[in-house]
This record gives sequence, C-alpha cells and structure tokens, in this order.
Amino acid sequence: MRFILGLLAAVLVGLAIGGASALIAAGLWPAKGGIGGISAVTVDGWRADLSVGSETANPYTRARVARHGLLGLAQSEAIYFVRSADDKGQPLRETCTYRLSGKGQDARWWSITLYDADSRLPMNDDDALSVDASALGEGAWSVMIAPQRPEEAEHWISSNNAGTFDLTLRLYVPSPALLENPARSVNAPRISRLGCVGDA
Amino acid sequence: MRAFVIILVLLASIAAGHAVVLFGAPSFIMGKAMAAMEERDVPTHAFALAKRMTPETQRVVRPSPDLAYSLCLFDFSSSDRQPLIVHAEPWSDYSSVSFFDAQTNNFATLRDSGEGIDAVLLPPGASAQPNDLVSPSEKGIILIRRLAPSDAAYREVAGIAAGDRCEVTTDTGDGE
Repeated sequence: MRFILGLLAAVLVGLAIGGASALIAAGLWPAKGGIGGISAVTVDGWRADLSVGSETANPYTRARVARHGLLGLAQSEAIYFVRSADDKGQPLRETCTYRLSGKGQDARWWSITLYDADSRLPMNDDDALSVDASALGEGAWSVMIAPQRPEEAEHWISSNNAGTFDLTLRLYVPSPALLENPARSVNAPRISRLGCVGDA
Repeated sequence: MRAFVIILVLLASIAAGHAVVLFGAPSFIMGKAMAAMEERDVPTHAFALAKRMTPETQRVVRPSPDLAYSLCLFDFSSSDRQPLIVHAEPWSDYSSVSFFDAQTNNFATLRDSGEGIDAVLLPPGASAQPNDLVSPSEKGIILIRRLAPSDAAYREVAGIAAGDRCEVTTDTGDGE
C-alpha cells in the first residue's frame, strides 16, 4: 500500500514540477517578459527571435510567443525586436525619463511601441504609445519617453501607468539585407536614461 | 528496488508534465483567444474591423496602435469543409492578410500590391490548385493589417473595410 501511495505521490509531484518548469522556461509564469526572451539575435540590447510565427519555432519560443506576441507575423513579413533595459542595462521604468534615438530602418515601414510588463498597452489616455516611420522619417531622430510630455520634446512616448516596461521595434517588409543579416543591418536605437524621480 | 522505481516514475512524470504544458500551451492560449473573440462578437466566416487600438480596446497582447486590424475566425468543421473565399479591399499604404492555425503558426501571409488581396483557403488535407492555401488545422484566425497611424487614416479604413470578405463558397463546381 505504501508503495502504491509512493508511486501516486511521485506522479503528482513529478507532473507539478514538470508543468511548473515548462511554464517558467517558456516565460509563461511569472507572466513577464517579451517575445524576444529566448533570443536568436541580440543587437545592442534589442532582442529578436526570427522564428516567431514559424512552424520551425522551438516549443519554448512558440509558447512564449503565444503568451506575449499572439498573431505575430513570420520574419519574411515582419521582424520584432524587444528591449527592456536602457543603455546601461537598467530596467526601463515609468519613474524615469529616457531619450530614445536612432535613424531610419531598411524596411518598408517601422514603429516603436511601449508595452507594460503584461505585454499590454499601459492604461492611459495620452494617445502617445507609439512612434513610427511616417512621423520620424528616414534621417536621425530623437524621442522622449516619460510619464508626462517634456516641454522640449518634439516626439514623445508616454510611460504613464506603465510600471516596468519594454519597447517593441517592428520592422515590416524587411529588406533582403535585413532578412539575411538582421544583426548587421538593423539600426538599433539607443536608450539613454536622463533621470529618475528621487534622483539627487 | 522500490525506491528506484519511485524515482524513475518521478522523473518520467516530470518529463511528461513538462512536455504536456509546453506543447499544449500554444493551442490552449489560441483556443482561449478565439473563444474570447467570439464572446466579443468577432464573427466566424466574416471580417470585423476592430476598434482603433487603444489601452481600452486592446483584446490581444502587443497590439500596434498604428495598425487597423480586421479579424475573421474560421472553422471548417462547422462549414462542411467548404473552401473559404478571402478578399481584402485595396489600401493605399501597407496592408496584408495573414493566416494563423490553431497552434498559433502564421502559415501564410499575402501582401497588398495596390489591387487588394484575394485568396482561397482550403481545409486540412484538401487537394489544392496553384495559389490556393491549405490550412493545417480546422480552426484558425485570418487577420488583415492596414497601416493607419491616425484617427483620420483609421476612419478611411472603416470606410472600405465593409468590402472585405471571408465567406464560405457556395459554388458547387457544377458549371452553373
């Protein structure tokens, strides 16, 4: 009898450990992180998994994308880069102000959007959660990220109510060069932290 | 010996639990997303233009506020496995129609070259003509993306989206 109970306990404990380890390994639990968590390409802190949307994606990537990037396109149509830290490696936080800067991308259209830790648009009515190529053009550009619009900012992404957040760079219809070698061809934007609430 | 058997069972159960959760998660999440869309009146075998993406209107993770989305759920098991006719009206900027199976795979994407997008989607296992698409699963989602980064652009999309089609063909192929 004790042996049977031992087997039963082993099955239950094993299933629990196996299930929990899968949730953690795939980034499903705790529910934080972006679609680039299991990265195939990292460029200056921007992470992309080029198997997003593909049948060739490994099961961990597929599970993570289902949770954090459902209905994502395969790389021939769009490449998604995600970044959750500034240039010094510190997590992006609502209580800080950042300067996001870069230049045009080798793609038909691109955008950068802010998401909270639950992969949602943060709940605010600022209508300033994204910037895109049509507003920033093909030359050098600069965008402020802050909970309120800085007076000097021509372009602004609102982090109001975002908590700890990340940014997604979408590259739609990437060029052949970008598809062949994203690490070399993407113009990875920089993220400089200008200050935080409570800084001396 | 009994302790050894229990350890083996424990290890096998860990592996089984890991695999079941890992491989089952995408279809589970996709199923929940499709059920939630149905509850929010996203139709099966018809396109519905989603409201402009805002924090209040978002329904899936990581939507782009710069895109206008039209959604169609498909379910070949409810349509006697008839082909699905898909049409997206032309759009002046970036536009695509993407097809997702029940495992979340993006098994096809068609891009607008200025003349709109037309496709025929067939059920799993169907014999296809050239250019026909065959779905790997009975159920899935078809998604039109149109670049519309402003209220004005979204209103333009709303003006044409009524012409999008996602419907079961009634053509019996008898030449009539």
